[in-house]
Amino acid sequence: MSQTNIYDSRGLARVLDTAAAWTLAVLWALPLLYAVWTAFHPSEFSTRFTLAAPLTLDNFRAAWDAAPFARYLVNTVLLVTLVLSGQLVLCTLAAYAFAKYDFPGKGILFALVLMQLMIMPDVLVVENYRTMSAIGVLDSTLAIGLPYMASAFGIFLLRQTFKSIPKELDEAAAVEGASTLQILWKVYVPLGKPVYLAYALVSVSYHWNNFLWPLIVTNTTNSRPLTVGLQVFSSTEQGVDWSIITAATLMTSGPLLIGFLLFQRQFVQSFMRAGIK
Amino acid sequence: MTGFRKACTLAAAALLSLTLLAGTALAEKVNLTFYFPVSVGGPITKIVEGMTEQFMKEHPDIQVTPVYAGIYRETLTKALTALRGGEPPHVAVLLSTDMYTLIDEDAVVAYDDILKPEEMGFTKAYFPGFMRNSQTGGKTWGIPFQRSTIVMYWNKEAFKAAGLDPEKGPANWNELVEMGKKLTMRDASGKVTQWGVAIPTTGYAYWMFQALAIQNGVELMNAEGTRTYFDAPKAIEALQFLVDLAYRHEVSPKGTIDWATTPRDFFERKTAIMWTTTGNLTNVRTNAPFPFGVGMLPASARPGSPTGGGNFYIFKKATPAERKAAVTFVQWMTSAERAAQWGIDTGYVAVRPDAWETPAMKDYVAKFPVAAVARDQLAHAVPELSTHDNQRVTKALDDAIQAAVTGSKKPADALKDAQKEAERILRRYGK
Repeated sequence: MSQTNIYDSRGLARVLDTAAAWTLAVLWALPLLYAVWTAFHPSEFSTRFTLAAPLTLDNFRAAWDAAPFARYLVNTVLLVTLVLSGQLVLCTLAAYAFAKYDFPGKGILFALVLMQLMIMPDVLVVENYRTMSAIGVLDSTLAIGLPYMASAFGIFLLRQTFKSIPKELDEAAAVEGASTLQILWKVYVPLGKPVYLAYALVSVSYHWNNFLWPLIVTNTTNSRPLTVGLQVFSSTEQGVDWSIITAATLMTSGPLLIGFLLFQRQFVQSFMRAGIK
Repeated sequence: MTGFRKACTLAAAALLSLTLLAGTALAEKVNLTFYFPVSVGGPITKIVEGMTEQFMKEHPDIQVTPVYAGIYRETLTKALTALRGGEPPHVAVLLSTDMYTLIDEDAVVAYDDILKPEEMGFTKAYFPGFMRNSQTGGKTWGIPFQRSTIVMYWNKEAFKAAGLDPEKGPANWNELVEMGKKLTMRDASGKVTQWGVAIPTTGYAYWMFQALAIQNGVELMNAEGTRTYFDAPKAIEALQFLVDLAYRHEVSPKGTIDWATTPRDFFERKTAIMWTTTGNLTNVRTNAPFPFGVGMLPASARPGSPTGGGNFYIFKKATPAERKAAVTFVQWMTSAERAAQWGIDTGYVAVRPDAWETPAMKDYVAKFPVAAVARDQLAHAVPELSTHDNQRVTKALDDAIQAAVTGSKKPADALKDAQKEAERILRRYGK
C-alpha cells in the first residue's frame, strides 16, 4: 500500500483508538452475551457463571408456550412492512414537494412538519386513539401503523437529501422529456438510496420495539406485535425470571439481529455515505 | 368495468347482510370486554381465557372478550385511554388502590347503582379485610379478585446452620434483628455471603414501609383517601427501623433492595429471610432448592400487613343490560370454587372464607399448609395506601423511602418532605 489514509492514526493514538473501540464494543455486547448465557442455562445459573453449567432449551420452550409468538411474529413483520412502505411513499412525495417547489405557505407548512419532531408520540396517545376509534380501525395492524406513516423525520431527512442533488440532473432529465414523477423516480430516488436504507433501518427497529401504543390500541392476538407478547414475562409483582425473559427476548429480537448481521456491510456503508454528504 | 361494478355490489351486499346478522346477534347477546393485567408468572392469560370460556358456556347469552392489557399500570393507562377515546372496557381488573382515581375520573360505577339494595348482600361473602379498600362513601366500587398481603419467607436450612429453630420465624422486630445477626454470614475477608433479611425498597417500597408502619401502630392515611400521616412519629420510627437494619444492625444490604430480584436472591441463599407478596408463593414453591417456612410479618406494637392486589371494576359507559351482565360475570369469577381455584393456580389469597371450605382448597392446604398463612394474617390486615391522585402521592412516599435507605436524607426529614408533597397534592380533595 503506497497510499496512506489520512484518517489512519499511528503509534499511541492507534493503540488508544483500538482500545476504546474494543471497550465500547464489549460494553455494547455484554447484555446480549448475558442474554445468550442465561437463555441457554437453567435458572439456577442465571447469575453464576461456571463452564460446567448444563445447557438447556427449556427456557425457550416455556417462553414459546406462554404466548402465541408465531402469530405475533407475523403481525410484527406485517406491521413494520406496512409502516415502512407507507412512510417511504408519503415522505418521498412530501420531501420532493418541499425540496423542489415553491408554493405559498411552504415555510409554515414545513415548520408544522418539523414541530411534529418535537412532540413525544406518547403525548398523543389519547388523541390518536380517538382518531382510530372514529375511523373504526381499532384493534388492527393499520391502527398501530397509521399514526406513524407521515413521519416528520423521514420528510426532513429526504428533503435535505433531495436539496443536495444538483439541479442540472433534474433539468437534463426534463430536457429528455421526463415527467415530474419520472424525474422523481429515475433521478432523485436512486440518488437517495443510502438515505432510504438508513431511514428504513431506524424505522424498522423503532416499530419492531414499540410497545405502549400497540398495547393500547389492540385487543386481540390477531393484531398484537411481539413486544406486547413479551410483556407477559415482566410480571413485576413476582420478581423476574431472567432465564425465561432472556429466552423470549432472544426469540423476539432474533430476526432483527440476524437481518442486521446479514446486511451489516450495506447498512454501515449507507450510513457512511448518508453522513459524509 | 362492469365486472368491477358487479364485484362492488356483491361486496356491499355481503357487508350489509353481515352487519344485519351481527345486529340480530347483538340484540340477543350481551358483549362484554374485559381488561385484565398479569402480574405473576405462569400461563395466566391462558387460565383467564379458560375461565371466561367456562363462563360463556354456562351463560350463553353473555359474550366476554378477555383482553390482556400488560401490568397493572399499563392496564390502567389502556383503560383510561380507551375511556377518553369513547370505548372503555365494560369490566376490568385494576388495583384496589386505584379506586379513588377511577371515581375522580368518573370512569366506574358503584355496584350499589346497578343492583337493588337487597341484592347487595353478596359483598358480605368476601373477607372484610379486602372489602375495606373496595368501598368508600357507603358504596362498593370494587369486588376483590387477585388479592394478596405481605408475608415472610425464610430458608430453613440457613436457620438450622445458624443454630435457630427452623420451624419458627421471628415473631417481633427484636427477634428479627437478633436472628438476622445470626443469619448474616461473612467469609474470611469480611464480605457478606448471606444477609439476614431483605425487605425490598424498589417497586413496592411504600407497601413494605406501610407494613412496618402498621406494625408500629400507625395508619398512613384516612378512610376517605384525603389525608396522609407520613410524618407521624410512629411512622418515622418505622422508617428508622428499616434504615437501621442495614446501617446499625448490618443484617440487611445497604442501599435500595430490588423488588424484582429479591426472590432470586432468596433462592440463591444470598438472603435467609425475605418479605414479599403472597403472590410469590407458587414461585417460591417451585423454585426454592431448600425447604422454606412462611409466616406472618413480625410485630412491633401489633402484627399487621397491608392488603394488596386487584379488584373488579365496572365501567360507567356500559348500558344497563351490560352492567347487569358484568355483575353476573364478576360474581361468577369470584364465586367460592373459582376463587379457590384461582388462589391455587396463582398463589393469591382466595378472597372469601367459603372458598377455603371447598374440597379443592382443603386438599391444597392439607398438602401445603403455609398457603393458609396469608389468610390468617388477614385478621390483622389494613387497607393498602390509597388516596386520591394515588400514583403521585405514592411516588412521593416511594422517593422518601429510597432517599432514607440510600442515606441521602434522614428518615424524619424524608417523611416530612413526602408529607408536605402529599398535602399539596391532596389539598383540592380536602373538603
